[in-house]
Amino acid sequence: MSEEFNDNKTIHAQSSETISGGGSSAAPDIDYVRPAEVEEQDLYHGHSFITKWVFCQDAKVIGVQYFLLATFTGIVGLILSWLMRLQLGFPGAAGFMTAEHYYQFVTMHGMIMVVYFLTALFLGGFGNYLIPLMVGARDMVFPYLNMVSFWMFFIAVGVLMASFFVPGGPTGAGWTLYPPQTILEGTPGSGAGILLMCLSLILFVAGFTMGGLNYLITILQARTRGMTLMRMPLTVWGIFTATVLAMLAFPALLVGALMMSLDKVLGTSFFMPTILKAGEVLEYGGGSPILFQHLFWFFGHPEVYIVALPAFGIVSDLISVHSRKNIFGYRMMVWAIVGIGALSFFVWAHHMYVSGMNPWFGFFFATTTLIIAVPTAMKVYNWILTLWRGNIRMNTVMLWCLGFIVTFVNGGITGIFLGNVSVDVPLSDTYFVIAHFHMVMGIAPLMVIMGAVYHWFPLVSGRFLDEKLGKWHFWTTFLGAYSIYFPMHYLGFIGVPRRYFEMYDSPYMTSAVGMNEFISLAAFLVGAAQFILIYNIIKTLKTGKRAGSNPWKACSLEWLTPSVPPEHGNWGDRLPVVHRWCYDYSVPGAKEDFITQTTPPSEVQNTGVEKT
Amino acid sequence: MSDPKIEGLELKPGFRGMAQDTGSDQTMFKGVHWGKAMMWIFLLSDTFIFSCFLISYMKGRGSTPVEWPNPSEVFALNAFGVPVPLLLIAIMTFVLITSSGTMALAVKYGYEKNRKMCGWLVLATALGGLTFVGMQAFEWSKLIHEGVRPWENPFGAPQFGSFFFMITGFHGTHVTFGVIFLFIYAYKVFAGHYDEGKRGWFTTMKGDYVEIEILGLYWHFVDLVWVFIFAFFYLW
Amino acid sequence: MHPGIIFFLVILGSVLFHIFTPWYWTDVASNWGGMDDTITLTFWIGGGVFIAVCLFMVYCVFKFSYKEERRAEYKPEDKRLEKILTWATTIGVVALLAPGLVIWNNYVNVPKNAIEVDVMAWQWGWQYRLPGKDGKLGTTQIVNINDDNPFGINSDDPYGKDDVMIQSDVLNLQNDKPVKILLRSVDVLHNWYVPQFRAKMDAVPGIVTYYWFEPNKVGEYEVLCVEYCGVGHYAMRGGVIVQDEKDYKNWLGQQETYSDLIAKQENKEINKKQLAKKTD
Repeated sequence: MSEEFNDNKTIHAQSSETISGGGSSAAPDIDYVRPAEVEEQDLYHGHSFITKWVFCQDAKVIGVQYFLLATFTGIVGLILSWLMRLQLGFPGAAGFMTAEHYYQFVTMHGMIMVVYFLTALFLGGFGNYLIPLMVGARDMVFPYLNMVSFWMFFIAVGVLMASFFVPGGPTGAGWTLYPPQTILEGTPGSGAGILLMCLSLILFVAGFTMGGLNYLITILQARTRGMTLMRMPLTVWGIFTATVLAMLAFPALLVGALMMSLDKVLGTSFFMPTILKAGEVLEYGGGSPILFQHLFWFFGHPEVYIVALPAFGIVSDLISVHSRKNIFGYRMMVWAIVGIGALSFFVWAHHMYVSGMNPWFGFFFATTTLIIAVPTAMKVYNWILTLWRGNIRMNTVMLWCLGFIVTFVNGGITGIFLGNVSVDVPLSDTYFVIAHFHMVMGIAPLMVIMGAVYHWFPLVSGRFLDEKLGKWHFWTTFLGAYSIYFPMHYLGFIGVPRRYFEMYDSPYMTSAVGMNEFISLAAFLVGAAQFILIYNIIKTLKTGKRAGSNPWKACSLEWLTPSVPPEHGNWGDRLPVVHRWCYDYSVPGAKEDFITQTTPPSEVQNTGVEKT
Repeated sequence: MSDPKIEGLELKPGFRGMAQDTGSDQTMFKGVHWGKAMMWIFLLSDTFIFSCFLISYMKGRGSTPVEWPNPSEVFALNAFGVPVPLLLIAIMTFVLITSSGTMALAVKYGYEKNRKMCGWLVLATALGGLTFVGMQAFEWSKLIHEGVRPWENPFGAPQFGSFFFMITGFHGTHVTFGVIFLFIYAYKVFAGHYDEGKRGWFTTMKGDYVEIEILGLYWHFVDLVWVFIFAFFYLW
Repeated sequence: MHPGIIFFLVILGSVLFHIFTPWYWTDVASNWGGMDDTITLTFWIGGGVFIAVCLFMVYCVFKFSYKEERRAEYKPEDKRLEKILTWATTIGVVALLAPGLVIWNNYVNVPKNAIEVDVMAWQWGWQYRLPGKDGKLGTTQIVNINDDNPFGINSDDPYGKDDVMIQSDVLNLQNDKPVKILLRSVDVLHNWYVPQFRAKMDAVPGIVTYYWFEPNKVGEYEVLCVEYCGVGHYAMRGGVIVQDEKDYKNWLGQQETYSDLIAKQENKEINKKQLAKKTD
């Protein structure tokens, strides 16, 4: 068995070669990097197909596995959204669509997209692939645990999908799963559906915890020589902070799901007050439905940032690379990410202004919520200031970034409406809310995901995605999605409530019929446009242009591996040594418009590079 | 791999030292084993789970319309014909805290590579944990015998039963998992896996005495949580 | 076509849509016009920021498009600029938050002279109860609810006897008179919302929640349930008729009270007994 391991035979980056980094002997001092603190990682190299591609311990393969499975659930979520829009735009067009089905689709669409698609994709997918590469590690610190994490996610998805096929179908209680509704007879999927949902969430949390521990320890304890925290790409900062949030927020979801299951199975009354149903008083009594809402949103609000922060980080890197300019105000960006993360634990009840909780909480939560607007706005300013006086490549990646800025600013500003407690009163539970959160945490992160796919695809596969198809993909998605959600805000102003199976006959709803038809048509188009990407990927894998190493001329470590795509162990014989941050673009006096992170100072002595 | 020793690195104490470590490259916590750092962060996450449970318990206890039962009556145990309040629970707590002590000693002997002492102490800890779980099972059966159920409670609010069984059950599960691992680790210590760096069956990581310390962190945490549960259920 | 043009058109389109949209809020019919004003203020400030940011972006995209020979500027930080932007944003946020909090303060403090209305919700319908001459609502309990006591009023509560019971989903209110809506639900969450009144709050089983408003336009309005309450959610409607004092008093006089109902039940039972005697 021993031949499968490195067995610590090569410890290159050890203290014996203290002063190194490839610098010339003429100027050793300025190239000094502290000696290695940690032994070379001991990796398990798979040999068979199963250990290499299925039960694989390589973070890069696990990342791709996460990506594919999350994309699969995302497509399920997309199809559900089509069915919903079909009903809303053209009531009765689908014969099988009953109110029960509609609400089941709404619920599953929400839960799938937020948890099983976006969270898994950003943290499981991008996190696994990029963290070890970006911080200069050979792999995640606990490869075995990492593998188990993915397979837990796999089982969680399986359980979730199984709920479509059990008697009663999946739960139809809304993705927020508010009791008492959720587990009462008469709600779709109140039997097996809700139990499978709770079980799936618990499995997801368990699996995610395993992955999350890996991400955190890899970032904290396994960086390469010279890689300080303040030299890390913002992608890593975003994923790091999001993981911290997840580790502290998912417990609330776990507890809520567990208590809900007990209410259902054992008949406890954690969330169940005295209830009169069909003329009979049920056996429940004395519980508090609002307690669940607090637990749910203590998870739910950080969850928004679990999705948003990696998107913030990734988009910062994409904008910087493709504007050939350092990200403006890096330190501000880092502190903004950390600050937003910390604040996100103190704002959860802004989802509950009209929930019947003590209304005096409104003052506190409105204030904290609007405070978050400040660091968020700073991030937006820094993105556009990065474009300022840049040298902007108008490729597909950049287009997705610009699309992100437009949709995110739009969604962020409608967030100020909803966060400002008394403004929220008329708008909450209307289409304004739907429009807001789809814009800010649906479309905006999706733009980043797409940008990131076009950006890193050459690294993962060694080939460029087709630009022309990419541009079609972008413009249909961006213009389509914008025309879905921008007008939707105005339906909210009229007062059209969310979660209505049919718009019925009120005057302020009949006036919305035309708009609903238009939105549905746009939704069909946007959904269909996503298949352009799938076609593009398949086509590119066969015939795409070869990328070679570092095709975007980026500075950060993930592009500097000895082989492209990187192999297991990432770095070949010796770990990279880092001498600067990852944003040294367009340094005055330098030969090229980028200086990689591994370039020692002695090689770029006569340039205007700033010390980082 | 044990805690890596870093040549020529002097740790500065206090806030200044912390800031320096944070600003440095490679590691944030100097010389801390990966697994140990992982366990700390896992325990932080677990703290949030128990906090959610206990805060829910406070909220549930506060909002139920029926009166909460008196803990010193419900948890009384008949000793020689006299009901002594909190007798069983006092013994349980004592056993668990004692097992924390044996665990700490096991870690000490582990780092001294004293295989025998370490093994016996880990085993003693495991037995302490097992005793605790046994006594908890006894208490559960006593309460169930008296008619307390998760959904009802003859002494007062039904939420008492719900929260009691759920939270002590969740904690008991933690203890049980700890006991299982303690037995496995005791075997591994006696078999010498940590002395020779034998690779684990699943994880293929090399064995090291640091694993005893990592399990120790978990065990101390479980004991600490018990103190809070004890205070919230039995003393409030 | 340069992509910047399309982005510009998107911004322009958004502004034009906002100006010419036929979909906008209904005329406010309560005292909460301040909410509309805050929304308008947020629109001006937020919309201004949105347009400024996006136009700046479009400008950069035009001006700094990739040229082989050009080098981007190398300037990692600009402390002064960042400070200015932070403070400007903070001031903007405070300007938005302050009016919001002032209105919320009004929202949670109910005027003393407000008439209390008990709004009872179930899957899927509404009914209402108004205080009688004593001006107070009797206490209730879910377990009391039955055909003879549709609101579950505690029979030993003297305040409950003269409560006016409206077993219909349409509620009449007096114009220019504040009402405190007391919400309760017997099964799941509901929310009693009239878009024209702007105000809303969830009805939560197990507790009584409240909010208040003062209708100020005579007319008929539709009530929507806006908290998801099951498959019948979308059809859970009600109505409100706002009337002048005279019409309202007239209407109120015709409604049945709890003691009327008890009397009726008793009469029924007496009749039944007599009927039984006769047949004997």
